[in-house]
Amino acid sequence: MPENGFDRTPDVLVVGAGASGAVASKRLAEEGFDVVCLEQGGWPDYSRARAPYADFELTSGRDWSWDPNIRQAPADYPVDDTESDITALMWNGVGGGTVVYAAHWQRNLPSDFRVRTLDGVADDWPFTYEDLEPYYVRVEKDWGVSGLAGDTAFPKGEGPPLPPAPLSAMGRRVAKAHNDLGWHWWPGPNAIATRAYGRLNPCTQRATCLWGCVEGAKASVDRTYWPVAVDRGVQLLTGARVKRLLLDSRGLVGGALYVDREGSEHEQRAAVTILCCNGVGTPRLLLLSAGGRHPDGLANSSGLVGKRLMMHPFGTVVGLFDEDLQSWQGVWGQHLHSLEFYETDTARGFVRGAKWGLQPTGGPLSMTRSYPWGTENPIWGPGFHRDLRKRLGRSAMWGIIAEDLPEEENRVVLDPVKTDGDGLPAARIRYRMSENSRRLMAFHQERARESLEAAGAYETVIAPFIRATGWHLLGTAVMGEEPARSVVGPWGRTHDVANLYIFDGSIWPTSAGMNPTATIAAVALRCTEHLIEERREQRTGL
Amino acid sequence: MDGVRIEHGTASFFEDRQRTTLGRLADALIPAGDGMPSASQAGVAGRWLDEVIRLRPDFGPALAGILERYAAIDAEMAITDLQTSDPGGFFVLTEVVAGGYFLNPQVRQAIGYPGQQSVPIVPEQPPDYERDGLLAPVVVRGPIYRPAPGSPSASRKTGV
Repeated sequence: MPENGFDRTPDVLVVGAGASGAVASKRLAEEGFDVVCLEQGGWPDYSRARAPYADFELTSGRDWSWDPNIRQAPADYPVDDTESDITALMWNGVGGGTVVYAAHWQRNLPSDFRVRTLDGVADDWPFTYEDLEPYYVRVEKDWGVSGLAGDTAFPKGEGPPLPPAPLSAMGRRVAKAHNDLGWHWWPGPNAIATRAYGRLNPCTQRATCLWGCVEGAKASVDRTYWPVAVDRGVQLLTGARVKRLLLDSRGLVGGALYVDREGSEHEQRAAVTILCCNGVGTPRLLLLSAGGRHPDGLANSSGLVGKRLMMHPFGTVVGLFDEDLQSWQGVWGQHLHSLEFYETDTARGFVRGAKWGLQPTGGPLSMTRSYPWGTENPIWGPGFHRDLRKRLGRSAMWGIIAEDLPEEENRVVLDPVKTDGDGLPAARIRYRMSENSRRLMAFHQERARESLEAAGAYETVIAPFIRATGWHLLGTAVMGEEPARSVVGPWGRTHDVANLYIFDGSIWPTSAGMNPTATIAAVALRCTEHLIEERREQRTGL
Repeated sequence: MDGVRIEHGTASFFEDRQRTTLGRLADALIPAGDGMPSASQAGVAGRWLDEVIRLRPDFGPALAGILERYAAIDAEMAITDLQTSDPGGFFVLTEVVAGGYFLNPQVRQAIGYPGQQSVPIVPEQPPDYERDGLLAPVVVRGPIYRPAPGSPSASRKTGV
């Protein structure tokens, strides 16, 4: 065996250039591995980020839509969501979901890794918070995370490298209210640079993070990881859509067949393949790779590929204040977060919990929309100017990330009818919110209302439930020790195929109630380090 | 394309009768009051319509259909009907009307909205919440996380 990499070239094929693909590619390249990454989309075009212009709110949905069914870009594949309570949101391109995420950087808590043990539901993870903690610390430095060490909701440990964003006027109000209530709050951890850091510029608080960060301050992996990875020799092929994985006679993966934007097919060979395509794209590709010895999809002897889809029901509660809070400005991002009601209390009538993040509410056009304000609170007509003045700059909102539990009926399958632009079967998702999720959300919305009222809100609005909140796609290639009950092992290697790995959010046994990027990145790094350490034992394809 | 002409793939030009209908509907959504102009007074059916459609040509066909459908119907009845029968169309109409309204610099000035401004973060040491003790009660309360059996945090609940 050579000192670096495997005995074949290229050593590793990574499919997907989002968070987990970036972490794996960069780290492998640092260790001398020869890495190729196939990404179906292109680089984000930040010339279309309109934050400094008057048309920002009007055009943001045009170029930065989170929904592939609305965007319908060449890199997108349809996701039939007609049987789903929540629609799947994603960004298919270099950077993946981090291009359009809100950059709330939340580690999971120790209890998130022990759900079965503590609450008697779902499954434990095959490792602990403490196992993952060193990897959180490392990716937070690579990412350029801002926040404050010592958060009492987490075990003691090293904090992020940058100081937190300002609390803002709304944050101070809510913080004081939580002190009065005896509730937890802490300055918000964000993957947003508050000072110049590496390739990131300092944030200027335009509150446009979800629609193309024009400043280059939000840590999306197209900015933080990929330039470094490419410098280190990773070959990143954009516009390369994988049609299926290639199997050799020994049942190992020898790489992938992909199609470029001109419609030409290519074989990309590699010794080891890592899937990083998100909780919809990864099971879709495994199912697309069904063949003679794998009629139900590759790595699917457990029958669990595509099942246990978790998407985090999302709630919003808005408060109206009689003070000018300039609440269209700030990080977006979160000014502060609260984990007061995160841990299970069975007296509430449900298990598990949710994280709250305090956010701006946007500019004037956002004040007119039915979300979060509700169609029952129309702004239109004689009260328009009065209501606009009530809302604009004088409102704050809690975003609530609710943990949903894995259920096999919630799943991703191949669409028997629809196809993408290359003729490949589209994805179809089925997701129903459980009774536990409904109770959990109702409880948290009421507590969030109390929070804002304690902060002085003279009126609160619980946003209507909308479907377009499936930013977090988790659980569809579950990780575990037992091959009969999981798709991959504790290090992301599929039980069925010795040189096929999955590092994205698909492998989460449970969803936690946190924004998932921090843990997706940390798990990807942990799995990558193990792959590097064990390279001499690794069976390889070709 | 239902009365809207698309030129060069972006700019669109609505006819006078369509603009008249839009002005009626727009003023029902945003009437004059509280010292503010109505939507049509602010140019929502005029230059700002052209600008909105230049920026969002995808709104053009749906808007043209709405203006055709409600050309001879009372504005308030039309809006009530559109809202209930075609929420997607209602979204397009309100984005065009409010989007155009808030493009008008005089309107922006009147509502005190300068746009999403660049406000550099000024480092404070110590930050305000430490200086004035705002964070202190949270720290004094101590750790709130639930230790997980089988992991070191169960016996290492040291908080901050």
